[in-house]
Amino acid sequence: MTQTFIEILRRALDEELARDPAVHLLGEDVAAGGAFGVTKGLAEKHGAQRVRNTPISEAAITGMATGAALCGLRPVLEIMFIDFATLSLDCLVNQSAKYRYMSGGQLAVPMVVRTQAGAAGGAAAQHSQSLEAWFAHVPGLVVVAPSSPAEAYGLLKSAIRLGDPVLFIEHKRLYVQKEEIDVNAPLPPIGKARVARAGDDVTVIAYSAMVRNALEAAEELARSGIAVEVIDLRTLAPLDMATIAASVSKTHRVVIAHEAVRSGGLGAEISARIGSELFDELDAPVTRVGCPFSPIPFAPELEQALLPGTPHIVRAVRELVG
Amino acid sequence: MKNRAAPTSSDLKQMYRALWRIRTFEGQVQRLAAAGEVLGFPHLSTGQEAVAVGVCAHLTREDTLFTSHRGHGHTLAKGADVQATFAEILGRDGGLCRGRGGSMHLVDAANGVLGATGVVGGNLPLAAGAAWAAQATGKTTVSVVFFGDGATGAGVFHETVNLAVLWKLPVLFVCENNGYAEFTSREEHSNVKHVSAFAAPYGMPAKTIDGNDLPAVYAAAGDAIASLRRGDGPYLLECMTYRMAGHFVGDAQQYRSKEELAAMKEKCPIERLKRHLLGLGVADAELDAIGEEARQEVLQAVERARAEARPDPATVLQYVYSAPSLAAISG
Amino acid sequence: MALVALELPKVGLVMENTRVVRWLKNVGDVVKQGEPLLELETEKSVVEIESTESGRLVEILLQADQEAHVGDRIAWLENDAVGTAAAPPVSGVAVAAPAPAVRPAAAAPPHAAPPPAANPARKQGRIKSSPVARRLAAEHAVDLGRVAATGPRGRVQLIDVRRAIEAQAAPAAAGPAAAGAQPLSSMRRALARSMTLSNATVPQFVVERAVDWTALHAVRAKLIAQLPAGAPRPSVNDFLLQGIARALLAYPALNATFSGDANLPDAHLVPASGAHIGLVVAVENGLLVPVFHGVEQLSLVELARRRGETVERALKGKLKREELEGATFSLSNLGARGPDRFTAVINPPESAILAVGRQRDCVVAINGGIHVRPMSELALTVDHRVADGRLAADFLASLVEILEGDAWR
Repeated sequence: MTQTFIEILRRALDEELARDPAVHLLGEDVAAGGAFGVTKGLAEKHGAQRVRNTPISEAAITGMATGAALCGLRPVLEIMFIDFATLSLDCLVNQSAKYRYMSGGQLAVPMVVRTQAGAAGGAAAQHSQSLEAWFAHVPGLVVVAPSSPAEAYGLLKSAIRLGDPVLFIEHKRLYVQKEEIDVNAPLPPIGKARVARAGDDVTVIAYSAMVRNALEAAEELARSGIAVEVIDLRTLAPLDMATIAASVSKTHRVVIAHEAVRSGGLGAEISARIGSELFDELDAPVTRVGCPFSPIPFAPELEQALLPGTPHIVRAVRELVG
Repeated sequence: MKNRAAPTSSDLKQMYRALWRIRTFEGQVQRLAAAGEVLGFPHLSTGQEAVAVGVCAHLTREDTLFTSHRGHGHTLAKGADVQATFAEILGRDGGLCRGRGGSMHLVDAANGVLGATGVVGGNLPLAAGAAWAAQATGKTTVSVVFFGDGATGAGVFHETVNLAVLWKLPVLFVCENNGYAEFTSREEHSNVKHVSAFAAPYGMPAKTIDGNDLPAVYAAAGDAIASLRRGDGPYLLECMTYRMAGHFVGDAQQYRSKEELAAMKEKCPIERLKRHLLGLGVADAELDAIGEEARQEVLQAVERARAEARPDPATVLQYVYSAPSLAAISG
Repeated sequence: MALVALELPKVGLVMENTRVVRWLKNVGDVVKQGEPLLELETEKSVVEIESTESGRLVEILLQADQEAHVGDRIAWLENDAVGTAAAPPVSGVAVAAPAPAVRPAAAAPPHAAPPPAANPARKQGRIKSSPVARRLAAEHAVDLGRVAATGPRGRVQLIDVRRAIEAQAAPAAAGPAAAGAQPLSSMRRALARSMTLSNATVPQFVVERAVDWTALHAVRAKLIAQLPAGAPRPSVNDFLLQGIARALLAYPALNATFSGDANLPDAHLVPASGAHIGLVVAVENGLLVPVFHGVEQLSLVELARRRGETVERALKGKLKREELEGATFSLSNLGARGPDRFTAVINPPESAILAVGRQRDCVVAINGGIHVRPMSELALTVDHRVADGRLAADFLASLVEILEGDAWR
């Protein structure tokens, strides 16, 4: 069946709510459907106790989700914009991520924080960021970013069932994307990337909305005889270096593409790991495509001038191949 | 000892023992910290024992307790093993958290001690969440969170209280108001003298009591917890008390006058409970014996803890993730 | 017309001290790029060095027996390329101003002169290359300095090394390769040259006898029984070596090598100072003939020890130069799976080689009776310029007597 990203997320939540009584949803406006409509109808279907609205209290609701997870619930918390996750940070970083470790394994925090990121035409500086690198830097947090509706369905379910605190980062521009999905396909595991397109000449590593750009770039480059292999990371932390290594050992050239600011972004970590673990496979330096070092502006001309996309990936690959 | 309106003499003697247990324990932490054997920043609850003991007397094993960086007393009062708790403070492998938490992060899940946090106020929403879990699963267990008056300066205190009231969560907020936040006296950081004043605007019942009067703590806590179990919603109990040691071990207490300190020693909860029990006709010698037994129990547990093995560095990466396969690729 | 200096390239991954064995071209010869110029002995084996340029060899700078190092100038070629090489610098090398005339080779100690700028990436000796290009180059013994770099800022890339490998694999000198042609290793080429030389210049004949091993086996068994634990056990080859040594001393006329051109009056025989015998050892893709010097002085146990240790080194390619020369006689025993009898080809400049057929139980007539004895066919190939049939036959008979006797050291 063909569903949009939003519909498929809703379906996944619906099925998990039905499957496991420990699953509870909470967040600002979630009972009413959530800011993007993902949770629409779920409160009516599963009851007001299972799908709960909260006031605008990111710190408290993140803490509550964590405390409930310590006591056997499986909360799925919605933080409307990743930009607001800054208010959740103390709990996520100092409590949720560390509880298992600090308690010497006595306690676990099986919770999912659903949020969304990315620029989408005029949302401006405080509603357009991609902050995944911050969370990928915290031991104990798992960070997942699906690249399409089909991916989101399986990854959300896997995240809910994992047993660790997961930051599940959706992308605004993907919300209306439609895709044929197979609900009976096996769930993709957390911690494993996928090869979205095979190729021999250059590896392009991407995640979230950039995977689509990478695939478009690959299509265009194929017409010039350049075979691009696209890797969709799926899990940003911890990183599946094995899949990356297999690809780089074949192509010897890498471009990493993400919407987040390039400086200090996840591409920097991946690049460093490739440089140190796969040095002898490299035929050229690792290249990163990312946003220049600036907040996202409001005016569309300015926003477009900043955001990385398909042409940037194409250009990066062409420069590598020479 | 569950929710009796008035404690029996036997209950009181048990609580007297519990006070001495905590007092001795904290004394040992202080001694070994001064000697360099306890590392980091241990925070002592010397002088505040009656709050821990009086409240925990009404809690079952399944009730959940959250505390702050000053949490040794609460942890012991909830039933944690003395040796395992001290071993954790010493960073031993046999400690509650296998040496990974230390003084400020004591967890004893089997006894419902779900954690202590070093970030002031961070434990408040966790306790509310635990209460939510109990409510969502139809249990009658409650959640108790201990915090100092300084935590009311954190936004998350207000967010949590608001939410707890809205959702009628069975969480007991116990504020140990010792008049100081870090090194600043209360007058300097809040216009609101009593923390219980914060409750009314949110629609939550609250009470301020003398936290060093164990029978008073016991009575107030009993009422509050009974109310929680009935499903009446959260409750705030403000216990006025006094910190007899500094903010943390090593703190030179420059900020208090000597007269202040002497006055408070007069108000020591152990002394006061002893006077109360003597008034009830319990023999001095019996009380001394109870105190001595508690002290010996702790001293021996401390010695055993000191002899325990240290953690194996090779295990340092255990417990980061649920699955070893995730830890293996975490770089 | 320009003069080009040829330098010793690196051969393989490690190349430390090497020695020139011999030049394959003479001054005045025309050399094509890729043609073998000289033989170089490395730590592992003898290798051929090919010319990197085409032209006429006008001066040889490193003689046979001289030590050589990577980068040493070994010769001057004169070719038609315009202005490719600078005049040779005077500094350090005792070679005078360039001239196309034949000159006596300089006796200057070899030293590494700065290499020519064959590659734009090679400024100041530092070659920019990607890690995977470096790795592939190392695996295929490709000199990065000679790879044409197409990467940014003169970087040698993977594709550049791949191209260089393909070019290397293409056969060097004359004619296109036939489909399926397999290039020879240096060792095989050296063997081919040596055997061709033997066939072409050494008149060889063969005499044959059978030998009965019975007595020798008994002696050997008794000897081994008396050996202390851990002592090396003499093999049949050790007995053969000692037997040959004794026979050579008894027939000194055969223990010499022919030297010079038979057409010229200075042709002469060079007698050996003792019994220096080569043992043919099969190694991967070829054979080596380590030489045992002064075998007449060695007991069987000492021979066994030396033989065992030397063969082990031969199999690892770790023989020293002096171990590969100086013999007058070689022994070739193809062992239990060998033929009943075979003829070996003389290994120049030696004078003889003994081929030992496999041991078989044979029916023999002894004193009118029929017996079964362990026997082998021996075939002795002899340089007819050194010995004639009578001498060869007497030598072989004497050897068989020794082998069937019991007088051993």
